[in-house]
Amino acid sequence: MTGREYPWKRRPGWWLRNRRYLGFQLREAGGVVCALYGLVLLNMLIQLREGESAYTAFLDLLRTPPVLYLNLVLFALVVWHALTWFMLIGKAQPIQFTRQPLPWKVVFGVNVLLWLGVSGAVVYLIFGGI
Amino acid sequence: MERTSFDIVVVGGGAAGLRAAIAAAESDPDLTIALVSKVYPMRSHTVSAEGGTAAVLRDYDSFELHALDTIKGSDFLADQDAVEFFVARCPEEIIRLEHWGCPWSRDEDGRVSQRAFGGMSVKRTVYAADKVGFHILHTLFQTSMKYDRIHRFDEYFVTSLIVDAGACTGVVALNLRGGSMVAIQGKATILATGGCGRVYEFTTNGFIKTGDGMALAYRAGVPLKDMEMVQFHPTCLPGTGILITEAARGEGGYLINKDGERYMQRYLPGKMELGPRDILSRAMVQEMKEGRAFEGPYGLYLGLDLRHLGAKKINERIPMVRELAEKYMGLDPVHEPIPVRPGQHYIMGGVSTNLKGETTLPGLYAVGETACVSINGANRLGSNSLSECLVFGAACGHAAVEFAKRRSTYPRGAAAREALKREEARVFDGLLGRERGKETVAGIRIEMQQLMERDVGIFREESALSDACGMLGKLRDRFASVGLADKDRVFNTELTAVLELDFMLDITMTIAHSARNRHESRGAHSRTDFPQRDDANYLKHTLAFQTDGPPRIDYVPVTITKWQPVERKY
Amino acid sequence: MVESEVVFRVKRYRPESGGRPTFQEYTIPYRSDMVVLDGLNYIKDHVDPTLTFRWSCRMGICGSCGADVNGQPRLTCGTYIRDVHKGAVTVEPLSNFPILKDLVVDFDDFLNKLASVTPYIVRKDWGDLTKEYVQYPEDVEAYRQQSLCINCMLCYAACPVFGSSPEFVGPAASALALRYNRDTRDQGADARLARLNTKTGIWECTFVGECSVVCPKDVDPAAAIQTLKFLATMRHMRRLLMPGASSR
Repeated sequence: MTGREYPWKRRPGWWLRNRRYLGFQLREAGGVVCALYGLVLLNMLIQLREGESAYTAFLDLLRTPPVLYLNLVLFALVVWHALTWFMLIGKAQPIQFTRQPLPWKVVFGVNVLLWLGVSGAVVYLIFGGI
Repeated sequence: MERTSFDIVVVGGGAAGLRAAIAAAESDPDLTIALVSKVYPMRSHTVSAEGGTAAVLRDYDSFELHALDTIKGSDFLADQDAVEFFVARCPEEIIRLEHWGCPWSRDEDGRVSQRAFGGMSVKRTVYAADKVGFHILHTLFQTSMKYDRIHRFDEYFVTSLIVDAGACTGVVALNLRGGSMVAIQGKATILATGGCGRVYEFTTNGFIKTGDGMALAYRAGVPLKDMEMVQFHPTCLPGTGILITEAARGEGGYLINKDGERYMQRYLPGKMELGPRDILSRAMVQEMKEGRAFEGPYGLYLGLDLRHLGAKKINERIPMVRELAEKYMGLDPVHEPIPVRPGQHYIMGGVSTNLKGETTLPGLYAVGETACVSINGANRLGSNSLSECLVFGAACGHAAVEFAKRRSTYPRGAAAREALKREEARVFDGLLGRERGKETVAGIRIEMQQLMERDVGIFREESALSDACGMLGKLRDRFASVGLADKDRVFNTELTAVLELDFMLDITMTIAHSARNRHESRGAHSRTDFPQRDDANYLKHTLAFQTDGPPRIDYVPVTITKWQPVERKY
Repeated sequence: MVESEVVFRVKRYRPESGGRPTFQEYTIPYRSDMVVLDGLNYIKDHVDPTLTFRWSCRMGICGSCGADVNGQPRLTCGTYIRDVHKGAVTVEPLSNFPILKDLVVDFDDFLNKLASVTPYIVRKDWGDLTKEYVQYPEDVEAYRQQSLCINCMLCYAACPVFGSSPEFVGPAASALALRYNRDTRDQGADARLARLNTKTGIWECTFVGECSVVCPKDVDPAAAIQTLKFLATMRHMRRLLMPGASSR
């Protein structure tokens, strides 16, 4: 006599339901991309050990337009990943000096400034100024 | 197979029911308790209580003073032995809840804070900002999870009591999800289903407050006491009826008319906005009649002015007032007065019980708004009702345990099976089988609510009351031909609405007839044809008994201990 | 005061007829001060009494009336039609839960999860039962935010993790665990952290953050879970470094 419950099943396109879900998925995808960059660097070291010609060939490959375009996309994802994590830091572990913890936006801002500073320093060290 | 025999069956999962269930669970680890509720306990209407709960906790206060305030507030219709019992136990209950984790607001010294409230002569009301009912309910509900011996029947609608050999031995309930009827047997049964505000059109009460417990007891032959005593709260939002807590005035809010005047100075200069609710509601209606009210899309209203309190105090002490005003009126009370008008809020009357919650039917107990002990008499003071649920919830829980222990065996199954069969026939074959015709459950409910609002409201008089009694009889006749469109057994909310309306039609009859028979004005019961209080003839409780026709009205004396009735002056 | 009309698209599921949930359209009179719940009640009272949904307080505190409104979990009593009206108001049962009937979902599972985090004060010694414990206003402030949870289930409906692994303890139960852990009167923090530091506990959370976006009471369960992750880690480290020592 009694009826049955209709079970829940998550829809495949759930993350397109709103902007925040999409942002979250991109952030997670950005994590994969970070790992991918790691592999690229690792490969670069392997090519370096193989000898100068292998290394130059690899660098030439990196300079081809399709790889450059792909890099642009991947770089955007990595930036998104970094930015969203900076946004979460203040929420995940609130930093408290007074009775009220620092607003997450302040923590985010400080992190972005630090990030830009370190990146600038790296660029300076490598290129000796821009 | 789910267990269906218990020592104690509690019907209702609000403050009173949960407190009773916990009291029973604590008193003996071998007892089994059923907690039966038509909604998940944390949805119970206790959740909407806002302002606070009274208790004598400080040196400046005394039991004597709390009792006197309560009795005076009740216009001397409260039983004074009950009031003395009550005030003496409020502090321990508040501290009990404190130990269980209730987030009471605190003073700088770390003690529980207290605020002023209407009709209370000192700061006596304990609070948790202005979400007191919410915090009490969730604290009690979560604390109840400690006890495995409390078996919850969530979303079970009780349709009838089981009465066997002159005693109550449990309930028959409709399992909303399973779509089946079940008999839940108990050595003792406690009704804690709250009030019946939904018999009125304009009420602060939630949808679920349909007087189920009162009607269940009434049908089992237990009298309902003082049902004419219906409280109208002065500050409700026009349109929705959403309550704006008395704490808004306790914290210093003003009531103003359209001339910006604090009109209470003409009615109650000694107390102003902190008078008892019956007097404030009548003053509001008077201002409306004399043309000094504002006019809005939902009729006349007055202003609750909090502007002088400032944003800080409002946010700290009464944040929900601001939340509700912003959400439901689209205005910020920091900058604008809140439109308010009186609305049904509480019923002082209920199932007639003694101090232990015992009714005239052995094994049946009632507590909370469902019950009438009576500590509230003809008018309840704000913040006494949550305390009442706690004090009498505990007392009633203990009394039920004592009763259950005296019964060595579980109730016999035959009576339960019989009651179950009878209810299945009545509900499934009878009500659910009815084909939809001209009459609908919503149609009759709306007519009933409008009738009660018009004829049995703040001011009453003979011709309107006798009309109401007649009309309610006709509605009862028409109810017999209400049909249902939803034929499912699972979660049939049209069916539960029919069962609730059936209960409410009984309740409204007792309210209207009790009001018609009381030829005086006392507390919340204001008869324009009998404007004076009449202690010679009516210093007594009304009892309404079920008959085949209209209720039979009888009276019992009020218990006076040491406070002789005097004129109620503030 | 009838200004015009509005179309409600409501998802229906009749358990006794079987089949899949389907949408039904209702055109009803519209006023600008109507909330979605008013629309549902109009349909129930005047158009189709078979429509099934839960509601009670209609003031955003009982937590009964949650539903997905135009794809977003909301309390229908606190959602004005004018704020969501895009041609039609689509009302569906809360995502991530099995449907019992129409808009009524089954969340018994949540109550079991709530019970699993010991949602009450735990004490070794209750002390003098007639005296209140001292608690300063800032002590209350420490757990006040999490204590405001009304169990409305919107956070569970918004959580994609719960949507794919239903055994995840979830936002509200975690927030309430933190509420008791932060209460100066409580001594049960260790057991709660032990419960949450499991496979079905807080580590399932990937910080989507949507629970905190939809929360009608600003409980911020997402932040609560991250705090619990920190506390659980500290507890774990303490136990590694100082075996045998109990922690608060």
